[in-house]
Amino acid sequence: MRLAVTALAAALALLSVAACSSSGGSSSQGGDSSPASTLAVGEFNPFTGPDAAFGPEMVAGCIPAIRLINAGGGVLGHQMRCVQEDTRGDPADAVPAAQKMMATETSLVGVLGPSSDEALATAPLLNTGHVPMFGDTGQAAFDHTTDAYFWRITPADDVKGYAMALWAHKAGYTRAAAVFGNDAGAQSNVPTLVHAFTQLGGTVVYNKPFALDQSSYRSEVESILAAHPQVIFTEVDPQTGATFLSELQQLHGLMPVIGTDVTLQAPWLKAVTGSIGAGSMAKYYEGMQPYAPPSGPAWQTYNKALLASASQVPKPSQWSTDPYSMTDYDAVNVMALAMLAAKSTSPAVFNKDIMTVTAPGSGKTVVTSFAAGKAALAAGKQIQYVGAGGPIVFDQWHNSTGAFEAVKDVNGNPVLVGSVSAAQIAAISR
Amino acid sequence: MNTIVPAIGFGIVTASILAVAGVGFTLQFGVTNILNLAYGDIMTAAAFVAYLVTSAGLSVWLALVAGAAFGSVFSVLLNRCIYTPFVRRGTRLFGMIIVTIAVSLIVQNGLLAIFGANFFSLKMPRPTSVHIAGMAFTTVQLAIIAIAAVAMLLIHLLLRYTKLGKAMRATAADPDLARNCGIATDRVIDLAWAISGALCGLAGVILVMNVTAFTDTTGAQFLIPIVAVAVLGGIGQPYGAMLGALVIGITTEVAAAVFSPQYKDVVAFVILVIVLLARPQGILSEVATRKEVAA
Repeated sequence: MRLAVTALAAALALLSVAACSSSGGSSSQGGDSSPASTLAVGEFNPFTGPDAAFGPEMVAGCIPAIRLINAGGGVLGHQMRCVQEDTRGDPADAVPAAQKMMATETSLVGVLGPSSDEALATAPLLNTGHVPMFGDTGQAAFDHTTDAYFWRITPADDVKGYAMALWAHKAGYTRAAAVFGNDAGAQSNVPTLVHAFTQLGGTVVYNKPFALDQSSYRSEVESILAAHPQVIFTEVDPQTGATFLSELQQLHGLMPVIGTDVTLQAPWLKAVTGSIGAGSMAKYYEGMQPYAPPSGPAWQTYNKALLASASQVPKPSQWSTDPYSMTDYDAVNVMALAMLAAKSTSPAVFNKDIMTVTAPGSGKTVVTSFAAGKAALAAGKQIQYVGAGGPIVFDQWHNSTGAFEAVKDVNGNPVLVGSVSAAQIAAISR
Repeated sequence: MNTIVPAIGFGIVTASILAVAGVGFTLQFGVTNILNLAYGDIMTAAAFVAYLVTSAGLSVWLALVAGAAFGSVFSVLLNRCIYTPFVRRGTRLFGMIIVTIAVSLIVQNGLLAIFGANFFSLKMPRPTSVHIAGMAFTTVQLAIIAIAAVAMLLIHLLLRYTKLGKAMRATAADPDLARNCGIATDRVIDLAWAISGALCGLAGVILVMNVTAFTDTTGAQFLIPIVAVAVLGGIGQPYGAMLGALVIGITTEVAAAVFSPQYKDVVAFVILVIVLLARPQGILSEVATRKEVAA
């Protein structure tokens, strides 16, 4: 009995060590040596767990923005810093993490996040705490949110469905198979995809959720082939994608595949390329992601600051064309400019000015960096910030949906194939 | 009907992988009385060994041998160095399950530390398609079926016609009585770990040959159907595991073809529950018990 208890204690100790070692906790970075005088921006995302890739993507946006803001004299006499708060991608961990962040970071002026993993549980908390948040969640639940402190400059998941349907229609496809995982995130794409593709004259001939990480999808492949689609729409995890597409290739030969932005992430591309070959990948696969062209003055400013941040952002060039890193960078700039416009670092005061500094308008000065915005505001001008991720136009629910781009993966390099405009998406989504 | 025949063919492939993994798992439990929940992670570790072999430019057949050898040696060492000391100090079944979970976490995180959070593929020739009796297979899948068939035949010969097989069955039935009858049970247990570990390693390699891309959690994700196969057949019954693999493998594929892919696991587990309601000891346990008594 004593040994059984010892074994149980040892197992629990091991679990605890594993959990603690993977916990990010909160650590300040990018700020000056006296945290009390600095304004904190929370990086509220998973840094461990299945979605651990989200956190570093966010860091790659926050650090360059803070670097430039601090170099430009800061905000109303304050320097700024980024604070990591690991949600572990789990609401059970994210809720106490949010509470801890709000309790301990007295100079917290806003957060980047939450992601889809924890948004439903934590957005109300942050909203009640009057903390402006730039959610990278794609959940449709936030399409018409009334949370005053919630802002979203990345597209909702259901918008991706519109973009995929428009792109397939543009390519002339009229029969499609929808191959999406049975998880909530993947399935959130499906209703708008089916609706839009049908509205454009197409037919979704196969639409059944996939159980993930099975050892085989051959029966599913046979069923799909029996329906004679011309194109496959997909969002499944890397292992499922690799198994499914390799079996399709073996049993029939590949056909065009249009994936969501999830399929453009490095683990998915590596797994699938390893299974079907780089040549087939380049020939048959395209992924849709928010349109953030790596060009223009805002992107150049972002990229220069990013590449100069190698001490805090490992391998910074990997994030140069990442639309989520770009929009996180933009979010920090927008909050800083809103503080300047409101002449206050109090979130309750400057939150409404987030709309003011981004909305287009006649007579407004278009600025593409924090420094330019600060100078224009100091000169008494009204500004419209256009960021690395493009123009930001919030609707009444604080959502800004931009354009989408179709990208191919050619020997590991993203190649832009074309785009779907925000106006086209707006037209089909009405 | 058009989709059911191919689905049965695909089910045979899935059943082949499950049979190799399930027989190893149930043999391990039957002889040693340890429910080794690190089994899936050892499969993954063996797959990484196979990956290293094929990455070095060597044949996938050699990778299969290397994976099986790794699984065998690793399992014996695991038992000798970790599990046996706990058993000798009287740790009971539940305590041992916790220990195996700890080993599972250690192996999984060790693989993560060594190889990183990425996806890997065995380097092997691209397979071609073969059609047999309305069923479509690839050359890799036919190889998997053949490997499983040979492995099952060897296990059958071992258990039925060798002294070691009889000693293993005796140790599984009553280790104290077996020891009193002069059977070197420690040696038998070592050999049981070696053989079941080889099956575990082999299963890991054929699994990743089939799924084509794998990561540090691939084997662990496959553990639930393996346990289901073992339970369905009657835990500790290798022949039951073979039959259980066929039932689960074919059922899941036919369910995916006839109903919806998202319910393939659900249908398999509904069948598992129904069978266990009717025969709580699994499909073959009573048959096996009767034969043991007759022998």
